[in-house]
Amino acid sequence: MSHENATPDTQPWNDPKAVPFLQVKNVTKKFGTFTAVSDVSLDVYKGEIFCLLGGSGCGKSTLLRMLSGFEDVTSGQIIIDGQDQAGVAPYARQTNMMFQSYALFPHMTVEKNIAYGLKRDGLPRDEVAVRVSEMISLVQLDKFANRKPHQLSGGQQQRVALARSLVKKPKLLMLDEPLGALDKKLREETQFELMEIQENLGVTFVVVTHDQEEAMTLSSRIGVMTDGQIVQTGTPHEIYEYPANRFVADFIGSVNIFEGRIVEDEVDYVVVQSRETNTDIFVAHGVSGTVGQKVAIAVRPEKMTISKDPLPDMRNVIKGTIAEVAYMGNRSVYQVQLESGKRVRVAHPNRTRRGAHTLTWEDEVYVGWAGQAGVVVSQ
Amino acid sequence: MRGPSTFLKVMGLVGFIFLYAPIISLVVYSFNESKLVTVWGGFSTKWYVELFRDPQILEAAWVSLKIAFISATLAIIIGTVASFVLIRFKKFRSKALLSMMITAPLVMPEVIIGLSLLLLFVAMENLIGWPSGRGMLTIIIAHATFGSAYAAVVIQSRLVDMDLSIEEAALDLGAKPLRVFFDITLPIIAPALMSGWLLSFTLSLDDLVIASFVSGPGASTLPMVIFSKVRLGVSPDVNALATIIIGIVSLGIIVAALQMNRGKKNG
Repeated sequence: MSHENATPDTQPWNDPKAVPFLQVKNVTKKFGTFTAVSDVSLDVYKGEIFCLLGGSGCGKSTLLRMLSGFEDVTSGQIIIDGQDQAGVAPYARQTNMMFQSYALFPHMTVEKNIAYGLKRDGLPRDEVAVRVSEMISLVQLDKFANRKPHQLSGGQQQRVALARSLVKKPKLLMLDEPLGALDKKLREETQFELMEIQENLGVTFVVVTHDQEEAMTLSSRIGVMTDGQIVQTGTPHEIYEYPANRFVADFIGSVNIFEGRIVEDEVDYVVVQSRETNTDIFVAHGVSGTVGQKVAIAVRPEKMTISKDPLPDMRNVIKGTIAEVAYMGNRSVYQVQLESGKRVRVAHPNRTRRGAHTLTWEDEVYVGWAGQAGVVVSQ
Repeated sequence: MRGPSTFLKVMGLVGFIFLYAPIISLVVYSFNESKLVTVWGGFSTKWYVELFRDPQILEAAWVSLKIAFISATLAIIIGTVASFVLIRFKKFRSKALLSMMITAPLVMPEVIIGLSLLLLFVAMENLIGWPSGRGMLTIIIAHATFGSAYAAVVIQSRLVDMDLSIEEAALDLGAKPLRVFFDITLPIIAPALMSGWLLSFTLSLDDLVIASFVSGPGASTLPMVIFSKVRLGVSPDVNALATIIIGIVSLGIIVAALQMNRGKKNG
């Protein structure tokens, strides 16, 4: 995309010469008459953490299961490291998977769980022991090596599952909702641990998640999925700031959407007339549309300013009354009722201790945002 | 919390007496000196000595144990295969029918099972000459048939609960399907296999009706011998035998309960 400074080293997807490590080509999966994955194409490069993000039932897990060989593709092709995976059984693939339920072997100790994959490869016993103990210390489970899974906490089980999937040094590691069962604090810690491990080992990760925060922190790139299709692929920044359509804008973070028609269409800006605001909306980027076309404009709550005084610096200003206030500590989120009846969410950072209390219910306020803040999205 | 009311205590006691009075009287009378079952003639262990001098009963007990062991083992194998077909295979046309047929012996009267098996064995002998005559083999087959129905029910419930992704994880780590079965699936369903086996074993030891239908000369199980003895009048050595069986069963239950308790503490 044009708004990123392409550096081929860290962004191989912007380098036309780079060969993708994992190629998914027009893959479709049908269960009877139901299409779970529909014509998905995807390139993932070596060393990436690629997140498939979507709600439940969007086909992301099915796609992952096809990558690891648990489901056949109905049509299309999956190529890993130059090898077509058609007809390759799960046990013959150079990939490993960390399951959502962790799927630890309940009758084996932590040590044996981790060693299982290496033993199946027929490695000599002393090498297995060395690699297992390396892995155990990497995930900091040294004290628990002889425990069984049910004697561990959720976070510890999760680390065993991770260790077990990493110990074979797979070319491609797939993680299905890896942090789903952890509480918020542990999640954040583990996220960074995961990224560190990924950097140290240089494994390519494909992560499936429904949690947008997890996807944003972890990934080099995100593929947003809905109804069996990838609707947008891009870096977290691209996905957040330049959502391709309304679904993506709505799914990632919270957003205010204004519907309207283009009344002025120039190379570097558009003006949109909307019934939901009593003023026209100015958007400081060109679109490939025509005058009269119906569009939606997405504005993130944190890019809006709220004030009791008129906002002369802002390109777009609307009047309204505060309907709801949610105090979140680091910021407050206001729901402002506009004259048209539409409500917009405005996030306001609480920079001073008293700041949160200056605006309150029923206050008449001005909501404003700069021309660059809004983005036109397709319906 | 208040303790149970007097009414509940009394009812509980009545229930226990109802269940265990016959067994206790049996145990007590097995130590009876007198030959008359209803008259107490003082403490004695002579019926136990008598019992071990009776070759017929010892022979029958040995036959019963052999039949129970082999048929329970067969039942577990058949039950496991049937459970896998029913739980793991995708929907196939006759799945409901198979599922019904597998559990039919649970509800079918024993007389009918026995009779139909007898007719089958006779017809088979006429047609293909196997099984030639009736005896231990036919009882084993018959017991394996209805034992596998019970085993299938027990194993199915365990298989349903098992997380499929555990097997997938093993596949993913490089184990071939057969290896996965022996390394992962079998250990996980082992408790169900064990209880299914014990159930089939007990049912086989206990069975009188089916065995009477399909047995032939020279193959009398313990229940058959006891039943024929009692028809000629209850002799005290049967009491002694029953007491020994109760002792063994109780011991088994206590050991199993202790094992389970230990399992729970670990869990």
